[in-house]
Amino acid sequence: MYGKLKKQMDCKRYYPALKTLEQLEHTYLPRVSEYRFTKVMYDQIVRLRDGIKEASMSDLKDFLENIRKYSSKIGEVAMQHVADQHGLDPTFVSMPEKKRKAPPPPNPFTGEAEATVTDQETNIYKDGDEELSAQELVDFSPVYRCWHIYNVLGAGEEFESYYRKQRKKQAKLCLQPATNMHETLDGYKKYFHEIIGFFVVEDNILHTTTGLITSGYLDELWEMALSKIVAVLRTHSAYCTDPSLMLDIKILIIFFCHTLEGYGFPVTRLYGLLIEIRDQYNEILMKRWKNTFMDIFEDDNYTPITLHYQAEYTAIVTIFPFKDEFVEKSPFPKRFPFSEFVPRVYQQVKEYIYACLKFSEDLNLSQAEIDDMVRKSTNFLLTRTLSGCLSSLIRRPGLGLAQLIQIAINTEYLEIACIHLEEFISSITGISREATHVAKLQGKSMFKDARSHAEQQIYLALNHKIDEFMELANYEWTLVESKGHASGYLMDLVAFLQSTFMSFTNLPDKVAQTACMSACKHIAESITNLLLDHDTKILSAGAIQQVNLDVIQCEQFASLEPVPGFTVGALQMTFSELRQILDLAMSDDWSSYLADFGKDRNKYSLVSPQTAVVLVEKISNGMKKTGVFTSMKKPEKERKKLLETVLKQLRALVNSSAMM
Amino acid sequence: MAKTYDFLFKLLLIGDSGVGKTCVLFRFSEDAFNSTFISTIGIDFKIRTIELDGKKIKLQIWDTAGQERFRTITTAYYRGAMGIMLVYDITNEKSFENIKNWIRNIEEHASSDVERMILGNKCDCDDRRGVSRQRGEQLAVEYGVKFMETSAKAGINVEQAFFTLARDIKAKMENKLASHPSKGGGTQLKKNEPQKKSSTWKCQLL
Repeated sequence: MYGKLKKQMDCKRYYPALKTLEQLEHTYLPRVSEYRFTKVMYDQIVRLRDGIKEASMSDLKDFLENIRKYSSKIGEVAMQHVADQHGLDPTFVSMPEKKRKAPPPPNPFTGEAEATVTDQETNIYKDGDEELSAQELVDFSPVYRCWHIYNVLGAGEEFESYYRKQRKKQAKLCLQPATNMHETLDGYKKYFHEIIGFFVVEDNILHTTTGLITSGYLDELWEMALSKIVAVLRTHSAYCTDPSLMLDIKILIIFFCHTLEGYGFPVTRLYGLLIEIRDQYNEILMKRWKNTFMDIFEDDNYTPITLHYQAEYTAIVTIFPFKDEFVEKSPFPKRFPFSEFVPRVYQQVKEYIYACLKFSEDLNLSQAEIDDMVRKSTNFLLTRTLSGCLSSLIRRPGLGLAQLIQIAINTEYLEIACIHLEEFISSITGISREATHVAKLQGKSMFKDARSHAEQQIYLALNHKIDEFMELANYEWTLVESKGHASGYLMDLVAFLQSTFMSFTNLPDKVAQTACMSACKHIAESITNLLLDHDTKILSAGAIQQVNLDVIQCEQFASLEPVPGFTVGALQMTFSELRQILDLAMSDDWSSYLADFGKDRNKYSLVSPQTAVVLVEKISNGMKKTGVFTSMKKPEKERKKLLETVLKQLRALVNSSAMM
Repeated sequence: MAKTYDFLFKLLLIGDSGVGKTCVLFRFSEDAFNSTFISTIGIDFKIRTIELDGKKIKLQIWDTAGQERFRTITTAYYRGAMGIMLVYDITNEKSFENIKNWIRNIEEHASSDVERMILGNKCDCDDRRGVSRQRGEQLAVEYGVKFMETSAKAGINVEQAFFTLARDIKAKMENKLASHPSKGGGTQLKKNEPQKKSSTWKCQLL
């Protein structure tokens, strides 16, 4: 009897062993109760029973240890199976084939290569698992056995709580991903495989045991896991900067969902997470496209595209919607009004839309939702990314007039092309752009803003050139007599402006007019500032004459209509204030100025009393200076006295107007 | 108004389209290089102040479009120039042969005593060289002007070229003043005048 028991124990047939023990205890031992050894045997039985309990528990512990190792494989097989059902290449969701290990080094003593045990193990494992379902991969009998034994021994609850506790610990372990998971797709695969493996095993336990775990318990465990998974994926996907990796991760998540759905686990929250990840994917795309746009701007030559052959022409009109009869009819070489960056930018916006759409595939979204998403993110691309790139391009220091003008022209053609982008989106999403709920693309207004920014920079660039000329201005403020001709710097400046307006034939009329007007204003201001500059205390009659000669040149330039389309006199108006200042200073007509001040028909209405004060001070100083060398003659003394009186009255005028 | 310079020299860059005039100027004024070819429209200029023998000299350097269609606009700038850089591209034989035509242009439109200099640009592209250094030198000798091979991209000789031209203009001008004391007398008198902080004057050939 004892021998039979021993045998059963060795074969791990714990339940029969237990039965044998029972038989021994209840049937055989009472028959021999009168012997002393019976008492000893009774004591032994308790110990033997504990031994059986321990042995089955030790097997369970092995199982638990093994299941950790295999659950990743179980998960992988389950996921492959689902992928296969959905027509996806199963290798996409599986780990890459491990390279065969290098043969072990020959035995140093015998010189023979030995096949190691592990090698054999992996071989057997690989060959056998291909078609196996998860359950077939693992031998669950230690669990059943142990559960059974404990129940028989009346310790079912003890076992149940032990099992659940151990498995919960394991769940926590597999829910904690490797810190570098985000680096590779395989990192994500490993994480998903382990989780699926874990829940497939639990699902199996639920269905093959009675009461070891309940569906309520499993649901609770899944809920906990799901929160953790969502948090982990949210954190790790945030590290991702590669859009194609993100697309792969998306597919993995979808198949992760499909697999678990198959086992009845709810995964809606993961689909919600995918929408979040999509926004992030779009952000990554935008960063990518920012570089693309910057590269395009970097490469451009800011010269209208010239086409020599029909093939070149066709190549561009197929990617960029541009129809112009004049260009169409003109012979080769043809010229487009815009430079290369126009078709390239347009093409890239379309590429971006395609890339956006890629993520929305398989997300169970309606066409309307996809349309809305595409329009929204295209708007972001246009109003944030492209607009930002254009703005930094336009502000780039050292950008020449030619480039700025070309940029302004380019934005006009991109603006026109916006409508085609809207049509393009409609054609893929199937949602008409006339539909009421559809968000309109904001490209048109963005390009309009960019253009006005570029135009502003044109005016500034021109003013900057004028400033450079002004720095060459070299007035002698004590000049006794003018040189008799306009200053060299001014002649150069006027010639430069003339040739500039002549060269930039592609400058739109309106922009040319504004540029010309702003240039004239800037010149007038600059000369006025020189004249009234506080650092020079003196203004001689000769110097005033010289400035007058220069201003005459400016007025002539303005009257010759350097740019067509001005109303008569409009451009000359920019020099009126300066003209009045000079007239007043040259004519010494202070009595008129003072008498007519504030009246309707005032010849010097544009000259402020402050300006007049500065003028008189400087002129008066100039007289003092000459006085150092020669004693003042009578008329000069009288003039000096007059100027002093005028100055007094002007200052009174300044004060009174300040009080008003 | 306080003057910021002693002399103003006006220089002009001419040569075929694409030889790198704008790049040579960009290297000199900004010490930078941009590889994208953006052709100049009409005319543009940059100003850089240099110091020669303790004198502050402003160089106003006019950059012309090489393209034929801007010829009328650009030739108008020859007359005011005191120095002209003739630029060709050592990898482009045609641009070298055209130097003769450009010199003819100078003779026709520029002032007779204008300082000239020939630059063979893109000398960093030795593997694509189409014009030997000797041929460049030869041409320069024939016309009695200085010659240098430059690279705006690699920053070779650009600085030296402009300084050489500026130094030659300065020397010529000082010679002229010495040989015509009556003409320059007014300026010299000003120099000694106590009220003037510095004798600064502008030299222009109009």
